[in-house]
Amino acid sequence: MQDDSMNTLVSELLAFIARPAISDDAFNALALKLFAHQFEHNRPFQKFCQGRGKTPRVVKHWQDIPAVPINAFKDLTLSCVPPETCARTFMTSGTTRGDVKGRHFHPTMAVYDTSMLRNFAQHVMQGDAKLRMGILFPDEVLMPNSSLAHYLALAIGHFGTPDSAYYLDDKGLRTDALCEALQNAQDSGEPFAMLGASYSLVHLMDALQARGQSFRLPAGSRLLDTGGFKGQSREVPMDAFYDQLSATFGVSRDQCLNMYGMTELSTQFYDAGNRQVPSVKRGPHWIRSRLVDPLTGQDVPAGERGILAHTDLANFNSAVTILTEDVGQAQDDGFVLLGRAQGAQAKGCSMAVDNFLKAAQA
Amino acid sequence: MSPPVFKAGYLPGLNDAEVMWHRLTLGTPQAPFQVEVPQLSPAQMTALAQRVQDASRAHLKTMAVSDIVRVIDKATARLLDRHDTYRQQLERLMPQASGFDAEMVRLNLNTYLQTFRSLQLQRFVAEDFANPKVLDEFQPRTQGGWTRAFGPELLVHVWAGNVPALPMWSFVSGLLVKAGSIGKVASAEPVFATLFAQLLAEVAPRWADCFAVVWWPSGDADPLSTERTAFALADVVLAYGSNEALQVMQARVPVTTRFLPHGHKLSFGMVSAAALSVHKGPGAARQAALDVVRYDQQGCYSPHVFYVQRGGPLSPQDFAHHLANELAALQHKLPRRALSLEEAAQVGAWREAHEFAALNAAKPDNANLTVLGHADALSTVVFSERLLPLSASPLNRNVLVVAVDTLDDVMPLIAPQRDYLQTVGLAAAPEELLPLGQALGQAGVTRICALGAMTAPEAGWHHDGRFSLLDLVRMVDIEASTEHAAERFTSYEA
Repeated sequence: MQDDSMNTLVSELLAFIARPAISDDAFNALALKLFAHQFEHNRPFQKFCQGRGKTPRVVKHWQDIPAVPINAFKDLTLSCVPPETCARTFMTSGTTRGDVKGRHFHPTMAVYDTSMLRNFAQHVMQGDAKLRMGILFPDEVLMPNSSLAHYLALAIGHFGTPDSAYYLDDKGLRTDALCEALQNAQDSGEPFAMLGASYSLVHLMDALQARGQSFRLPAGSRLLDTGGFKGQSREVPMDAFYDQLSATFGVSRDQCLNMYGMTELSTQFYDAGNRQVPSVKRGPHWIRSRLVDPLTGQDVPAGERGILAHTDLANFNSAVTILTEDVGQAQDDGFVLLGRAQGAQAKGCSMAVDNFLKAAQA
Repeated sequence: MSPPVFKAGYLPGLNDAEVMWHRLTLGTPQAPFQVEVPQLSPAQMTALAQRVQDASRAHLKTMAVSDIVRVIDKATARLLDRHDTYRQQLERLMPQASGFDAEMVRLNLNTYLQTFRSLQLQRFVAEDFANPKVLDEFQPRTQGGWTRAFGPELLVHVWAGNVPALPMWSFVSGLLVKAGSIGKVASAEPVFATLFAQLLAEVAPRWADCFAVVWWPSGDADPLSTERTAFALADVVLAYGSNEALQVMQARVPVTTRFLPHGHKLSFGMVSAAALSVHKGPGAARQAALDVVRYDQQGCYSPHVFYVQRGGPLSPQDFAHHLANELAALQHKLPRRALSLEEAAQVGAWREAHEFAALNAAKPDNANLTVLGHADALSTVVFSERLLPLSASPLNRNVLVVAVDTLDDVMPLIAPQRDYLQTVGLAAAPEELLPLGQALGQAGVTRICALGAMTAPEAGWHHDGRFSLLDLVRMVDIEASTEHAAERFTSYEA
């Protein structure tokens, strides 16, 4: 029975995530097991792998599992179970290809939630059990298909004090209420955690600047932004963004955290603050990243820029290894993000796809 | 030891020390190529323009076109001579700067240079001027009166960097109409124009001040920028580049200056069933592969799609397989240049989009879509049994082959790209040529050539449907009435 095999895998996965650390062999073994499972139960994925000549018979190392480009989440149904039986389906925001959205099917939320909570506790909570939180993102009722909305719901539900709240709803940013909460936190001396989309923080800072308002949040406060600006707000250079965050809320750049996550993953990456940008991002022991040449899938030479490919064991139902469109460079025990691999501009009068798309949209 | 730096530019009347130099890094991350380009101040540009205009008046405008042709021919002959130092420098530096394979640069350069020899240049002039002497002096008109063609006092070129040696077309065109020229090199290809200017000055020392090769940062919004200064001084601005870049430039060219833009173009191939015999089909595929491989599809004349007719002994799918094999074979002789991460990502995304479409068997639209690639990912042919509109490939040896029942079926597929159409590489029977030419011309195509000739336009081609020389000149008429009236003012009694 497929259900049984999935349930066994899920139990194994939860146990794996719960372990304090794991060996390379253990990671490899579970990655290959997940690959074999997906190859067997996910027909489009199977055909994709066959097209690359990569089957469980020949793949012996997690690095050889074919990386599924994130666009496949738009064009293919990547699920080992019928999508309609899934507990949740997360969708991408559809910023790059209009109304075509990537879909990530989660038969159970147990793995995603465990992965998120354990990682969040370590990198964001940093030993605190609860924090007063302000969320700058709509809640799950407003955005039932947003993985970020779910992520933030987990954060506030498990780690937020009762006076934590959402400050963004269908009517927009609740600036007055948020200012009151921030003032209240400042007066009480209780640390405050503000979490949200990077562009929402820009909107908030713009609103506060218009009011001539700023805060000195108590020690232990932290800010977490994610997702970049996506054309939703003005583009702010990273240094200026964190300088302004720090100045507006009185939180040192060491406690301005950035989370790097994707709808197509079930695990997130964090940095240890943004005193220096770009900051080094790290993931927990159940996710490993490589920097690859996007055409050959081979690792780029050490130290060179490459496209990030992530092997996320928590992606048990979709594709264990995905190929992003993000350019990265290895650093220390993690990687730095260097932006997206924007289509190369054609030189001169030849026309490449990117120019073509722009021309088609004009 | 740091690698040598190539100093680009040709600046008559200016010492290196007086000029600000801007450092560019070209080549590949593995083999960077350092170039310094001259960044003149607006005042230096003004002085340079004056010098070029004065010199071209004294030394170019006084020459007969046939003599100018002889000088250019001499320069071309040197560039075709393997033992010549300029030729050797080009062969060495252009691959380093562009990343293109050295053998590819060498072969393409030869084909290209052959269009700039004396016979071809004369044909080039004759293409636009039935009587080339109209460039030298007033010529009688059959209906009465006199006409002469005057080239610009100052012609400003803005060159693109997609194809090495591209500046030679407009450089030579300027000389043939006796214009003083200032050319701005592209950051991606500053080598050719620099060396060509030096060589010309060596071949014809009296031309030494008739042209200059410069650089400026594009998109400088300063109203007093060097770019605007140059545009304001020019009679004609001839520019190659992306449509976005041209749009920006156009806004900076005074309305009294003639602006000749060459923007984005899309080219494609068509193969008639008549060319798909068992014996001739593979040859057609080989020629098509050469069109794809030359300069890795970076030219405006490079094909993005091949439309192949059903009904021949070789099917369109067979043709696609032959094309894929030829591309793979040519990789050994003419290797593709190393791609940047961004280029590779773009190729990857294009391939994957087709792979996913092929995997989506549930959607009948996608039936019979095949991705023919090789594991090394150095080239890809995507074959479609279903009609697909003309669209841009990610370049770098990635093409689409689309099966059609008749070549007339292609016309609606290319119609949406009317503004961008340029070259069609055509393999068809003689009786098909003119009807297809008629339909393609109506659709917006400006050049039709044989497969295998797409990247080598003939001398005197009508680039983007325009006249290379005629567009540069001003025709000056002395009307018949002047002559008749003059007859009344003779010093003698008639």
